[in-house]
Amino acid sequence: MERTQELFEKIEGYLAKTLSKEELLAFEKEMETNSELIHEVEKQRELHHVLSDTDTLNFKEKLQKISAEVKQERSVSNTKISQFSYWKIVASIIVILGIGTLLWNNINKTDDFSELYAFYYEPYPLEDVTRGDTANELSEIMKNYTQGNYEKVISELTKTTSLVASEQFTLYLGNSYLNIGKEQEALLQFKKISDTSKYYEDAIWYSALTYLKLGEIKKSSELLTVIIQYDGIYKEKAVQLMEKFKEL
Amino acid sequence: MSDLEDRKILEGIAAGDTAVIKTFYENNFNYIRSYILQNSGEEEDAEDVFQDALIVIYQKLKSDTLDINVSVLTYFYAICKNKWRTRLRKKRKLIIDNEVVVINEEVEASIAEEIENNEREDVYRRYFLTLSGTCREVLNLVFAGKNMKEIAGITGYSEGYTRKKKFECKKTLLEKIEKDPMYQELKLTSEKQ
Repeated sequence: MERTQELFEKIEGYLAKTLSKEELLAFEKEMETNSELIHEVEKQRELHHVLSDTDTLNFKEKLQKISAEVKQERSVSNTKISQFSYWKIVASIIVILGIGTLLWNNINKTDDFSELYAFYYEPYPLEDVTRGDTANELSEIMKNYTQGNYEKVISELTKTTSLVASEQFTLYLGNSYLNIGKEQEALLQFKKISDTSKYYEDAIWYSALTYLKLGEIKKSSELLTVIIQYDGIYKEKAVQLMEKFKEL
Repeated sequence: MSDLEDRKILEGIAAGDTAVIKTFYENNFNYIRSYILQNSGEEEDAEDVFQDALIVIYQKLKSDTLDINVSVLTYFYAICKNKWRTRLRKKRKLIIDNEVVVINEEVEASIAEEIENNEREDVYRRYFLTLSGTCREVLNLVFAGKNMKEIAGITGYSEGYTRKKKFECKKTLLEKIEKDPMYQELKLTSEKQ
């Protein structure tokens, strides 16, 4: 059906109930024989209905703006993170080489808990986290975390409760405690992460490592079993660790 | 997440509080984004789904029909996932869900039907917001029930120009909407019912 200004005005008049009696009768008669017209009327009725809700429309527009802002801030932050990542990779290679050599030298001598812990433990890596209003504060915490200034991270994170509400930061906080020898506090943080969280597997893995560090192998094994069943990114490491436990 | 935080989020959404919504966006978008990218979606799909799911909550809060017995996040994730599954189904693509964390199935089932219903509304709003400023101004007044004379008085355009503009804008909008593959699929589905 060709869409004309005249047709639209008739449909609008019909929907707004402003057609004269004669016009209405003629229009209804036409609809009886013209299914395309019925469709067009229904389409416009729905269009008017949905778009007259200006609150929702304004809300959608606001969301689009927020989305664009977040996207822009994320791309700026990614540039910063990639600089971090370079040093993270370099640092990791040095650590892996160092620990690898250490393990090579000691593999047939002692294979105790702390060595296993040192071999498997890596601080929870920084993820892409951005919050416009707390950007400075956040980059300071991230800097301290990468530099291993865990005391500072703890003092900042415990001061800023809104950040600790984010599960990602709960992991950073837990890792920081773990690195300054406050294992029980670390466990408390990891336990805060619920089993429906996307960080659940991370939390269980770090809890298992914390128990390993404490020499509580039974508890550590139980958690490693959970990880193996979870079948996620830590599964392979968990299987290896369980094997090592058997050798002890 | 505590009840208090949930309440803050819900109040912020209902009030359209930019700061609250932005924080919610920053904290949760990556999760939904990875879910959608892992399941045959694009960046743009993730944005649409995320926004449209927030609209579901917004509208429910406005009409005072939000009745949830799970956390806001559980509920929100369930809406997002359901929306994406619905869209994928429409696109007749296979969903490969590698997600290990299973969201409350009961919640998902209860919202699945509603989601199907408001999918078409999302399409209308999305394309309306792509129209020019003039078109949006004129059509907003049309949808608010103003007649040509009133619209001409508000906008300062002549009545003849307003009439012509209204027709052109509406025609463009309908054509844009009809070209959307999702709209065609939704239309077919509703016609079959």
